[in-house]
Amino acid sequence: MEGDYFNGTSYRGTKKFSQQDVKTADATGFGAAADDYMERGIDLNEQLIRNKPATFFMRVRGEAMTGAGIYDGDTIIVDRSIKAESGKVVVAVLNGEMFIRRLEKTFNKLRLLSENNKHATIEVDASCDSLGIWGVVTYCIHLV
Amino acid sequence: MKAIVDCNSFYCSCERLFRPDLQHKPVVVLSNNDGCIVSRSDEAKAAGVDMAAPYFESKPLIQKHNISVFSSNYNLYGDLSWRVMETLRMLLGDASKVEVYSVDEAFIDLGDVSEEKLYDTAMNIRLTVEQWTGISVSIGVAPTKTLAKLANYLAKKNKAATQCVYVLANRQQQVTAMKQTRVGNVWGVGYSYAQKLVNLGITSAWELSTMSEEWAYANMGGVTGARLIRELNGLPSREMEKPLVNKKMIATTRMFGQPVTDLNDIKEAIATYISRAAEKLRRQHSAAKVISVFIVPREQNYEVSFRRGATVSSYVTLPAATSSTSELIKPAVQLVESLYEQGKVYKKAGVMLAGLEPDESIQGNLFSAGPQKYQRLLMGMMDNINFSMRDDVLKFAASGLARNWKMRQELRSKRYTTRWEELYEVS
Repeated sequence: MEGDYFNGTSYRGTKKFSQQDVKTADATGFGAAADDYMERGIDLNEQLIRNKPATFFMRVRGEAMTGAGIYDGDTIIVDRSIKAESGKVVVAVLNGEMFIRRLEKTFNKLRLLSENNKHATIEVDASCDSLGIWGVVTYCIHLV
Repeated sequence: MKAIVDCNSFYCSCERLFRPDLQHKPVVVLSNNDGCIVSRSDEAKAAGVDMAAPYFESKPLIQKHNISVFSSNYNLYGDLSWRVMETLRMLLGDASKVEVYSVDEAFIDLGDVSEEKLYDTAMNIRLTVEQWTGISVSIGVAPTKTLAKLANYLAKKNKAATQCVYVLANRQQQVTAMKQTRVGNVWGVGYSYAQKLVNLGITSAWELSTMSEEWAYANMGGVTGARLIRELNGLPSREMEKPLVNKKMIATTRMFGQPVTDLNDIKEAIATYISRAAEKLRRQHSAAKVISVFIVPREQNYEVSFRRGATVSSYVTLPAATSSTSELIKPAVQLVESLYEQGKVYKKAGVMLAGLEPDESIQGNLFSAGPQKYQRLLMGMMDNINFSMRDDVLKFAASGLARNWKMRQELRSKRYTTRWEELYEVS
């Protein structure tokens, strides 16, 4: 693999781009001018996946996060390498069950907030070890 | 300095990643076909479940301790293995510093990290791998691969004290560690050598390290033994190997899901294994000249003995090396016909492709260039479609449609990381 990264977390899946990918590379005259301006096409993975080995996909079930624009059946992208700061939407583990909620940290409390008034807020002490963070939700893919 | 990074109860860790309710609970994973136990969580080990114990024999113990059982989910394990290795490559910043040794182990080259920073460096790697991939690992650090393995053995043996990281940087630490390690637990000392050494009065790794290289040459398999002694003495004799070396042989073998008696079923199985092996062959751009096929019958008095019947095998050498599935299937199926005996019950079969050579060289043959070229195009397309669509959308008719012999995997978890339709559902 090409080696100009160190400890980097940028996407490196499809950065390969050879002269063969340039459609007009064999053309002479006017067509060849485009060669100088050739770029790699847009790749969605590059935008959505920052750290490939730490990124997982999950499916959302239920209405707990509809207020945040995350609906039943949506696909979420979860990055385990991102720090779970207060205010982030996370996949949390509580008593062996996984939940998608917004994390809120205060000096002595951790709260898991749903963005739908049908679900109660879950609140635990900051020292509580039955609550873990599985990963941070970075994107939601929603069919429109 | 070198280090070995070894995943803790790897298959069980993979299952637990998507089953947080099983954290700190006993878990076991079964081999292909749910035959025996191949991975145990620490809790399952503590409950007395033996490694490689047959599943049916362990069932009472499993029920008694309420142990969770999974069939092998190789799609999941393969993906998580890649994630662990990729994390290591990213942390070390150079793919050549990571030698993937098995699905759950890698040697890494720590270069010239100073002695006092070794523990923190290794710990940082351990915690990062765990954070990113959810897989916990143990790390042994030492000047040689053999001592790193020994360090890792000690790290795993006492996880609470070592926090799964153990460094043997200087000679004094190495000697102390070797004195408390039995010779049979040294990497590269097999069961029979361990017996032999104990009979000679050599019981610890330390005692083995004091033997001369000449002695090892004479008594421990020549140069391999001499290297082992040097490695124990801190002199690197087994260097980092290049990743992705092309295999010299490609094999696919499986247990049948249920005993098979019909010749056609066995032919279908062999054709399927050949397709899989040919796919692996093309992935490394090789072509094979030798096909070997084996089938394993069950013993007559199976119910009493459980012993394995005598394997029958045969091979054929092709006029020219090929990577085309169709050209490999035909001779393989003919071999099955010659091996099969009416009335016997078969439990396992396998194929092996050998006499491998680079696929390009075939193109040098001017006279067969035409059809070869189209075969290669066809195979390329078939691999592409099967790879993107999964589950072998395209297969040769010889592999059959019913697949009565297919593997049993009754307790497999979802393929959370490789299939869109099997993603983890979170609410």
